[in-house]
Amino acid sequence: MSPEAAHNEGSCITESCTGSCPEGQQKDSVFRFKFPEASLKKSRKRDDFLGQLNCGGIFLFAFFFFMALFPSLLAPCNPEERFLPYEAPSRDHLLGTNDIGNDILSELVYGARISMTVGFAASLVSTLIGTIIGLCSGYFRGTLDELLMGFTDVVLIIPKIPLIIVLGAYLRPSIWILVPVLGLLSWESTARVTRSKTLQLREAGYVKSARCMGFSSRHIMGSDILPNIYHVLLPKFMLATASAMISEASLSFLGLSDISMKSWGSMLSFAFFRGGFIQDMWWWYMPPGICITLCVISIALIGFGFETKQEEYAVDGEL
Amino acid sequence: MFFISLKAESLSKTYGSGLLSTGKCIFREVSLEIRKGKTFGLMGPSGEGKSTLGRVIAGLEKATAGFVYYNGTPLARMKKIEHTAFRRKVQVMFQDPTDAFNPRKKIGHAISEVLALLRVPGDEHASKTEEMLITAGLPDEVLSRYPSQLSGGQLQRLALGRILLLDPEYIILDEPTSALDVSVQAQILHLLKKVQAERNTGYLLISHDEAVIRFMSDSYGVLENGRLKIFQYHTNLKTLSEDKSIKNELKFWV
Amino acid sequence: MKARSGSRLLEVKDLQVSFQGIKTVNALSGISFSIGESETLALVGETGCGKSVAAHAIMRLLPPESRMNGVVEFRGKNLLELSEKEMTEIRGKEIGIIFQNPSLALNPVYSIGHQLAEPLRIHRKEKKEKALARAAGALKDMGFANAAEYIHYYPSWCSGGMNQRFLIAASTMLDPSLLIADEPGKGLDRKCVSELEAELKKLKVEKKTALLLISHDLAFVQRLADRVAVMYAGEIVEIADSSSLFENPLHPYSRGLLNSLPEKGFIPIPGFSPPLSSPPSGCRFHPRCPLRKKQCVETHPYLIETDGRAVRCFLYP
Repeated sequence: MSPEAAHNEGSCITESCTGSCPEGQQKDSVFRFKFPEASLKKSRKRDDFLGQLNCGGIFLFAFFFFMALFPSLLAPCNPEERFLPYEAPSRDHLLGTNDIGNDILSELVYGARISMTVGFAASLVSTLIGTIIGLCSGYFRGTLDELLMGFTDVVLIIPKIPLIIVLGAYLRPSIWILVPVLGLLSWESTARVTRSKTLQLREAGYVKSARCMGFSSRHIMGSDILPNIYHVLLPKFMLATASAMISEASLSFLGLSDISMKSWGSMLSFAFFRGGFIQDMWWWYMPPGICITLCVISIALIGFGFETKQEEYAVDGEL
Repeated sequence: MFFISLKAESLSKTYGSGLLSTGKCIFREVSLEIRKGKTFGLMGPSGEGKSTLGRVIAGLEKATAGFVYYNGTPLARMKKIEHTAFRRKVQVMFQDPTDAFNPRKKIGHAISEVLALLRVPGDEHASKTEEMLITAGLPDEVLSRYPSQLSGGQLQRLALGRILLLDPEYIILDEPTSALDVSVQAQILHLLKKVQAERNTGYLLISHDEAVIRFMSDSYGVLENGRLKIFQYHTNLKTLSEDKSIKNELKFWV
Repeated sequence: MKARSGSRLLEVKDLQVSFQGIKTVNALSGISFSIGESETLALVGETGCGKSVAAHAIMRLLPPESRMNGVVEFRGKNLLELSEKEMTEIRGKEIGIIFQNPSLALNPVYSIGHQLAEPLRIHRKEKKEKALARAAGALKDMGFANAAEYIHYYPSWCSGGMNQRFLIAASTMLDPSLLIADEPGKGLDRKCVSELEAELKKLKVEKKTALLLISHDLAFVQRLADRVAVMYAGEIVEIADSSSLFENPLHPYSRGLLNSLPEKGFIPIPGFSPPLSSPPSGCRFHPRCPLRKKQCVETHPYLIETDGRAVRCFLYP
C-alpha cells in the first residue's frame, strides 16, 4: 500500500459534529448522514427552547453551587451569631432574624451547603449501588439476574420516610444516618435502567469480541459496557439528587434532621414550630422554600438536558 | 490417526428444550473438521444456524449434545488452563465491522488493551501495534480515530489485525464480507488468504455467498433446514454437488 | 447525456451538494445525468461516493445543513425550486423511493395493510376499507398467495426480504412514474435479492416505471439496468449502456470494480476511497490508478462524451 494511497479514509457521508462527541474526538473530519426530522422548523424551535431551559438550569445551579462552596462571601454575618430575635427585614438583616436571633439570610446561605451535600451524597450512594447491581444483573443474567431483580422489588416496597422516622426514634438523628438510608432506599430505578441497557449492550459485537478474546467479565463490564451507559446514568444521578434534596427537606421539616447542621428544611421546620407561620413572618419561611424549589428545578433541568443529549445519541446510532 | 485440528463430532443444538417442550432444533448430529492452513466453507440460507454452529465450535456456546475436540481434547473436559489457551487459539471474526469496536474507545486504546491482556510489556506495545497495522495494510493515523470515523473495510481489517495479535490457530469467519461493498470484499478476501499463507491458520468460513466460499475454501458443506440438519458431502471441490441423498451427517476430510 | 432523443423524465444538470459544518464537505461536485420514461439507470460506486446523497437531493430529503446547487428537472419542473408543500405532493405520488434496510423503513407498530393503504388514504383520499382492499390486491399481484392474511401482519413478523417487497408495494401503490431504489438489496441474502430483482423487473415491464437504482453490487445492476453511471468520490466518472460498460469498461475505476467481481477472481483495487472533505488533487482516482501519468496528478479531467458514452479520464481525450 503506497503511503500516498494510505489517506485517512473519512467515514461515509457527512454530518456536522454536534456536542455529543466523545471527549477529545477529533472534530475536523467527522461527518455522518443524519435523517431529517419531519418538520424542520418545529424541531429547531423545540431545540432552542430546551436549550434555553438547560442554560437557565446550569446558571441557577452554578449560583447555588457557588453559594454552597463560598458561603462566607455571600452571607453578611455568621449564622451562629445572635442578634435581636424575631426581627423583620431591615437594612442590617435583609431577611430579618429567627427566634434565637440568627440572621436568616446567613442561615440561608450556609444551609445551601448542607442541603446540597446531603442531596449529592445520597444520590451518589444510590447511583453507585444501582449501577453495580444493574450491571451484574444484566451481564450475567440467569439466576443472579432473577435474584437481584427480586431483591430490587423487595426494596421498592419498603416505605422510605416511615423507615427513617422509625430509625430517628431509635438513633440520634444525624446526617451520617440520613445519607446512607436515603441512598440505600432509592437505587431501584437506576438498577432497572442500568440492567436493561446492559442487556442491550451485551449483545453488541465488541462485547462478543471481547469475550471471545478472553477478557475477564469485570474488565468487560468496566471498560466496554460502563462507558456506554454514562449518558443514561448522568440524568438519573441529577434527578436522584433532586429527589434526595426534597426527601431531606421533608425529613428536616418533621424534625428528624441533625440539629447541629441547619439545612433549608430545618429552617422551615423551625419557622413552623417556633411561631413563624402563625405570625406570618414570610421572610422566614418563604426564602428556604423558594431556595429548595429553585435548586431542585435547576438540577432537574440539567437532568433533562442530559436526557435530550441522550436522545441525540440514540438518533446518531450509538445505541 | 491423530491430526492436529479443530473437530466437531455429532453436534446438536436445541433452544428452549425442557420438561414441557422439545424446543427448537437448530442443527442435529453435525460433524466437521478444520485443519490448520485450510479453509472449510459453511454455506446455507440465512438464519439457519450457521452462525450458531460457528459459535459452538468456537466454544462461545454449549452444544446440547456432541463434542468439540481441540487437538484431541474435548472442550467439555478441559481444565481452566487448557480452556484459556483454547480461547486464545480459536477466535471469531464477526459479520458487522462497525459493531466490532467500542464506539467510545479510540482504536489505539482498544489495541493496547488487547496487548495488556496478552501481558505484553509496555515498551513493546508500539512495535507490536505497528506490525499489526502493516499486516492489515492500514496507516498509522487510524490509531487516533474513533470507530465511527472509519469505513467498514478499514474496521474489518482492524478486527482481523486485532485477532491476529492473539496469534490464533483457527479463525471462525462469520460472514466476514457480507456487510461490505463488492470492491472492499475483494480486498478483505485477499488479506485473509495472505494471512493464511503466512501463518498457516485454519479457517471456518461461514457465508451465504457461494462465490466467496468457492474462492476461499478448500472444502465446504451446506447446512439447510434447521429441523433436519442436512449436510451435503462434496468430493468435487469446484462445483456444488447435486447429490442430496446423503443427509444427516457430514464427515468431511480434506 | 442523452441516450435517446425526446423529453426526459428526470434531468439532473450539474447538481452540487455540500454540507456545512466545522469543515465544508462537498458530497457531490456537479453530477449530470438523465432518465427517460420507463428507463432504468443505475448509479454504481463504493460506499461514500455520494450515491445516496444524490437520491436524497432529488427528493429534497437532505438535512438542513446541506446546500444544493444545480438543476433537477422532473417533467420540466425544477424540483430544487419547489416549496416543501409542492414537494410533498410529488413524493410518493410521482416519485417513489425505497430506502436501505427495509425492516427499519416500516413502522413496527402499524400493520402491513395499514402502511400499504396509507398512500392511498392520504394522496387519493380513499376510504379505509377500499384502501385496504386495494392493498390486498396489490399484494396478490406481487405473488403473495394469502394476501388477506399478510394485511394483518406486522413488519417484525416477516423477514427482511418480505419487508422489502412490502416496501416496494407501498411505494408503487400510486403508480409513480419514477422509483428511486437506494441499495434495495443490502442486508438480504441471495434468494431475497433474486426475488427483489424479479419484482423490479415486473415493475419495469408491466407498469413501465422508470427506475433510478443505486447500488454497489455490480452483478445485481447488470441484470436490471439499461444504463449505468459509475460514481467515485462525489462525481460521475463514466456513463454508458449496461452492455457496453460490462463488456468494455473504459475508466480504470470501472475496470477495477468489474475485476473485483467473483467471476473475475476477486481482484482488489489497492488503496481506499478518499475522504470527501479532502479529495486528492487532479483526478480523484489517481492515487489508486495503475495507469496514472503526471497529468492526472495535476489537472482535473472533464466528463467527455464519445459515441453514446461519457468518460472522465485523460486516457480518452
